[in-house]
Amino acid sequence: MMLQKNTLRRQSGWAAQGPIRRGKQIKPYLYLVPILLFAIAFIYYPFGKTFLYSFCTVNAKGQITGFAGWENFAYLFQHRNFKIALLNTVKLTAMFVPLNLCVSLGLALLCNKKRRLSGVYETMFTLPMAVPMSAAAMIFKILFNPTVGYINYFLGIQLGWFEDRKVAMYGILILCLWMGMAFDFLLFLSALRAVPDQLLEAASLDGAGFFTKLFRIQIPMIMPTALYVICTNMVLSMMTSGPVMIITEGGPSRATTTLIYMMYTSGYQSSDYSLAACISIVTFLLTFGMTALALVFDSKRNYYE
Amino acid sequence: MTKKAKTRAADISVTITALILGCIIIFPVVYCIFGAFKTRVEFGSYPPALLPDSFANLENFKEALDKTPLLRYMLNSLIVACLGTAVRMTFSVLAAYSFAFFDFKGKKFLFLVVLATMMLPGDTLMVTNYLTVSRLNLLDTYLGMCITSFVGASQMFMLRQNFRTIPRALRDAARLDGCSDLRFLRSVVLPVSRPVLLTLCVQSFINLWNAYLWPLLVTNRDEMRTVQVGVTMLTAVGNTNYHLILAAVTLTLLPSFVMFIILRKNIVKGMTSGALVG
Repeated sequence: MMLQKNTLRRQSGWAAQGPIRRGKQIKPYLYLVPILLFAIAFIYYPFGKTFLYSFCTVNAKGQITGFAGWENFAYLFQHRNFKIALLNTVKLTAMFVPLNLCVSLGLALLCNKKRRLSGVYETMFTLPMAVPMSAAAMIFKILFNPTVGYINYFLGIQLGWFEDRKVAMYGILILCLWMGMAFDFLLFLSALRAVPDQLLEAASLDGAGFFTKLFRIQIPMIMPTALYVICTNMVLSMMTSGPVMIITEGGPSRATTTLIYMMYTSGYQSSDYSLAACISIVTFLLTFGMTALALVFDSKRNYYE
Repeated sequence: MTKKAKTRAADISVTITALILGCIIIFPVVYCIFGAFKTRVEFGSYPPALLPDSFANLENFKEALDKTPLLRYMLNSLIVACLGTAVRMTFSVLAAYSFAFFDFKGKKFLFLVVLATMMLPGDTLMVTNYLTVSRLNLLDTYLGMCITSFVGASQMFMLRQNFRTIPRALRDAARLDGCSDLRFLRSVVLPVSRPVLLTLCVQSFINLWNAYLWPLLVTNRDEMRTVQVGVTMLTAVGNTNYHLILAAVTLTLLPSFVMFIILRKNIVKGMTSGALVG
């Protein structure tokens, strides 16, 4: 063993001092070619092109026919559907992010201490993770159906969850929460369990109650996780489109039209590529701005005082 | 009450609360499975019952399989998810190896180029990617359905972090003994990183298996649909076939649940570690 170690050290030292042959220098790049090629072809190129499209007139085949300047954006901003879609998306995000944070953190706090049946209810809480979005959407569509669904009967109410203009967005919100919760619950749970026990015990000995420990120790300690959850959820909910597409198709009377859904309809159904590009640029900038804001806000604070 | 009895009482009440909440959370899934055994008549009756009349009623599953190519959909999903995962992991491993073991000009920059792809959400790039894929004549092909997910920046990052724990001296020594980089990668680096690799594969497979929007866009022919897209097409068959829809959804959930149960630990580990990269 000793000998092996010695030779290893000597050889590596020799290799480090040895001249690097020129032929070797191309190898690192070769390993990077595939990922870079596809990153350029399917991420950077489309991003650049989307940007370009948003300032040009584009025909139904996707060919650029002329320069439009800010006209596309001007057209978009006075578009009635766009205002609705923007409002809907922002509203959904504003409700989804804090609610999801509270619910998943609450569940994680409930499970934090290991008990005899921990495994059972933890599995129950994480089960929605195993359900793909489209399956979940189909189930909720039937479950919340006003005539055959079980929810209205169970709650004793008459509510067109996905049919009523005023309620439809909340229906979508419930579905999004159900789908998003499980993952964030797991993140919070592992973050909470990583908080050293000694800290909490010491605090208890000093007479700290549940809430003191929660707000003075646990929450500051899991802040990095919370920040991550907030940022990813903002992106996720700004991009909401699947449930809308499957359950409501943007309706009733555009009450659930989101930005990405509008992008989809204008891009595919109407082949208005420049409009679709404008929407995706606006969505991207909004999402980027929000996450940047969260990060800036975070960097101004000091958690471990 | 003694302190011990107090904590015991607290534990029991928390457990009960958690179990009730858990039941509420899994209710949609339970409802779906129960509904899959109901007949059309049962669905029409009011008040709606939660339990089906009998769990021996397998007609719905049979009819769902007859009326829709569900098995074909699942096969498509499987192919797309496997192909996508294999390519994505290969690309990530190669890139991670290069970033972890070589020093070269522009390393930092190229690393950022790959990582920055995480900042551009795929949903906003769909329109132009659709045009590209259709121009490459890849509509309605398996390759077209996963080609946009070949770049896995987060996977690459995780792998690179892991590869960096392997001493560089080991690679230098191996090279002196005439071991090529590819062979070193295959017989030392990959076996050592097996846990991470497995976790990332699972994570990526599930991502691709659950994908909805992109496969919907690039497939027009019915027999090329993935299971996630196919399931939502059932409403078009007839809006009142709730029992059939639920039976089909239950069938599609089966593989997901099997994966969830078998790989639960891996999924959890992968998600939590992947998430805390920061």
